[in-house]
Amino acid sequence: MTKLSRRINTLKSRSRKVRQTPRILTVVPICDGHDSAIITINFEFARHGIEVIYLGYHRSVRDVVRAAIQEDALAIGISSYNGGHIEFFSQVLRMLRDQGAGDIGVFGGGGGTITLPDVRLMKRRGVDEIFFAGTPLEKIVEFVHHAYSKPRRAISRASLNGPLNDLELGKLLTAAEVGAAPSTFDSRSSTLTVGITGPGGAGKSTLIDELALRFLKSQPRNRLAILSHDPSLAAKGALLGDRAGMVNAQNDRVFMRSIGTRGKAGGLAAATRRSVEILKQGGFGLILVESAGIGQEDLPFARGLVDKQVLVMSPDYGSRLQLQKIVMLETASVVVVNKADLPGGRTAYSELEQRLASNKPRPKLIATVAKRHRDPGVDELFKEVVS
Amino acid sequence: MSELAQIINAAQEFKRSVEVQVRKARNDSRFAGELRRRWRKIRERVPTIETPAGLKLPQLALPQTDEPGEIAQFLFGDGLPGEFPFVTAAYPEMYLAKLQGSNVESRVTSQNGRAQRVRIEEPTRLFAGLGLAEDTNHRFHYLTQHQHSVRLSTAFDGPTLYGMDSDGDGVFGKIGEGGVAIDTVEDMERLYAGFPLGDEHFSVSMTINGPAPIILAMYVAAAQRRFGRGVIPKLRGTVQADILKEVQAQNETIFPMEASLRFLTDMVEFTTAHMRRWYPISISGYHIAEAGATPVQQAAFTLSNGFAYVEMFQARGLPVDRFGPRLSFFLDCGLDLEYVALGRVCRKIWAIGMRDVFRAGPRAQMFKLHTQTSGRSLIAREYKNNLTRTAIELLLAYMNATNSCHSNSADEPFTTPGEEYVRLAAHAQAIVLEESGLFKLMMNTLTGSPGMKILESALEKAILNEFRHIDELGGVLAATELRYQRSQIQSAAHRYETQINEGVRPIIAWNRFGDRTASLPDVKVVRTPRSRQQLQIDRLQKFKRTHRDQAARALDRLSKVVENGGNVFAELLHTVEHCSLGQITGRLQEIVGRFRPTM
Repeated sequence: MTKLSRRINTLKSRSRKVRQTPRILTVVPICDGHDSAIITINFEFARHGIEVIYLGYHRSVRDVVRAAIQEDALAIGISSYNGGHIEFFSQVLRMLRDQGAGDIGVFGGGGGTITLPDVRLMKRRGVDEIFFAGTPLEKIVEFVHHAYSKPRRAISRASLNGPLNDLELGKLLTAAEVGAAPSTFDSRSSTLTVGITGPGGAGKSTLIDELALRFLKSQPRNRLAILSHDPSLAAKGALLGDRAGMVNAQNDRVFMRSIGTRGKAGGLAAATRRSVEILKQGGFGLILVESAGIGQEDLPFARGLVDKQVLVMSPDYGSRLQLQKIVMLETASVVVVNKADLPGGRTAYSELEQRLASNKPRPKLIATVAKRHRDPGVDELFKEVVS
Repeated sequence: MSELAQIINAAQEFKRSVEVQVRKARNDSRFAGELRRRWRKIRERVPTIETPAGLKLPQLALPQTDEPGEIAQFLFGDGLPGEFPFVTAAYPEMYLAKLQGSNVESRVTSQNGRAQRVRIEEPTRLFAGLGLAEDTNHRFHYLTQHQHSVRLSTAFDGPTLYGMDSDGDGVFGKIGEGGVAIDTVEDMERLYAGFPLGDEHFSVSMTINGPAPIILAMYVAAAQRRFGRGVIPKLRGTVQADILKEVQAQNETIFPMEASLRFLTDMVEFTTAHMRRWYPISISGYHIAEAGATPVQQAAFTLSNGFAYVEMFQARGLPVDRFGPRLSFFLDCGLDLEYVALGRVCRKIWAIGMRDVFRAGPRAQMFKLHTQTSGRSLIAREYKNNLTRTAIELLLAYMNATNSCHSNSADEPFTTPGEEYVRLAAHAQAIVLEESGLFKLMMNTLTGSPGMKILESALEKAILNEFRHIDELGGVLAATELRYQRSQIQSAAHRYETQINEGVRPIIAWNRFGDRTASLPDVKVVRTPRSRQQLQIDRLQKFKRTHRDQAARALDRLSKVVENGGNVFAELLHTVEHCSLGQITGRLQEIVGRFRPTM
């Protein structure tokens, strides 16, 4: 037995005692854009102590299963409105089993296109529950709390050779969140790790999705890891929605993990450092750590946590005086003015240029329009990030 | 000043100008005399008709007044049917006496003393799409047996709507579900086989948005294959192609908004020049309303989207009087009180904006309206009630003088409509228009009541107010990027659901008078068999094998046109001969990127 698998086996018994916040992945199937019901349900889940990772609409079976494994979700909730549900649910179940993740639950619901005979068939194939339109939301919340509260088995073995696979990484990251992950890891791994932070709404996720696209193109053999933080609500639930807007990062060569801040201020979570250590065992070519939206005085990345710090801002930071108060500007190695096409873009660029003039070493300042495909600013940022 | 702000001003200015005319009519005796004479002439010209029961009535109901102020209010404020600002109707005759089973396509009428050709068209348009192309083709032939005119309306399956091929990753179960599966130009040939595509009595409507230019290119190519190049200028029909509402509500966008709008404008440029009888965009509120918008939001977002398109096409250098008459609109009609007058108010605001801000001529001022009854208002439980719901909505739609209408089938909440309910839906329209005397004998029968007038002015005010919010955010495109419309629609949807849950919004057999023992309907659900889905894949793969070499070259040619800023639609007419929908989408996404939803 390796040191690692021994540790994982010991945490099995410990994690049973810890009441885990249920993590649920929600999604609308491929070729279906009916997202209004699931959006309502997502908020309801988050308000009732459930961590929801929302994958978005028009997502393939492969995307769903990959995300569920990487996020180590307890269950997948699928909202299906325009037919093909028997096939879609069945394929998700089959692929989960094939990948050794048959313990992830599957439930769902949708419009009237799902008939009672369909439900019977789907349940025989392993679907836990189907909710019809008009089901009170409390009932769905109650179901999730009840059906997915049992701690699941920890991984039975870790790979002896080579990097950890997605399943192992997913489970170890969960262990890290409940404070049960092995405390020492081989920290000699030198995977380039870049922290990306900035105020909420600056476009961090979009930028990361564009960086992912460039990474996949320029490094055809390597894998990318993204650790993406979102704030938890007071009720301990969270809506972790970064995946929904990431179209390029849903790829077999990207490992993405969404993490709730769970009451920790400053943009990261208590488990961040552990999580990064674990990710460093994954054989990735690059690790991106995205903070939750930060305030003026936050410095999310403690010494040694990341190799580079990128601060992403949008032109609407307010007056020039506000720039003096942003502490991150002192430590960032790259500062990005995203949404540079907005009316205030040029002003922001030159004000930041002046603000950064006295920094030593002087950080790189880059203007980007992340929403624009093939934006040259993002190209420049990517070069800066991987160099 | 932004276009939207100018439109708000123009609408207010128009109101003032009508008030001026009314005052003048009351104070200036010469003007009053002129008006009275004109009014008398108009009334004399209105033909009389005898009801089947023997009562003689005018075919156009006009206010029964001789008071100059009221005459001015009607003539300038509402307008005669077919006259600015088109509150009464877009055309001089709507449903009158044209449904007698005759094949009258056009005839001469004397409106304003002028001889004028009026196209007489049956307003019924039924939406169909299921399984493979030949299955839908069969349904089309079945449907048109019961109809006087051949106006096909096509629903596509999920993979087609998202620009994917039937052999795409994980789409198997979606093939032919909820609409027809189209992968190649060959499918398109099969879809409309046996119909005279270039015929002036034939038109087709295609409900597709993200990949609309590719699908229309396939349609044109299919028509060309059967009838030769000469058919292109004769093609009649419409493709939905409304990208803005997709981003705001329906989520069937496949390219980033900017690129989607460029491909759309390329297509409009082409049809404006070469397919003069084609409607290249159907500006749609239907999906906005179905996603949860209130009637006012539906109207405001649809109209403002329409104005944004006009601005965009003008910026491309297209003359408004060429493309303006080829714009059409598509609204939802539900059971809310607002629907009594919504279409009327939309016609007015559109006409004012087009005339006074975009300087369009009369033909481009007309808000041509297709209505569909509300799908959201239908429920699965005790679903035969849906027949009643749809009948009332149909009545409201025709009260709004819609130019064409689709009535939903009662079984739609749980399945692709079966033939029985499709037939009942078609008959419902015939009952309203042909069997009942409500619309075929007299025009304008139900307008002008105090309630309708109150609704008109309240709706207009609320719509303009919504324009103001959009304008404050920097206009339609900026507001869309800021998710303004989307979040408004979502809040309205939330309110609607809450109202149903709390019982404030009664839904019969759901939150009121429900039969507790009633379970889900046990009906035959139309599904596409796996063997048919496999057949679609086999055919597609055969097409890909046959065209492998040409496809690579055609895609490279297409890429060059995209990169060099040429007209993508014109090139697509070539590309579709060798490439499948998914191949084309894939290549275009490599160049312009994929649509990224925002939360």
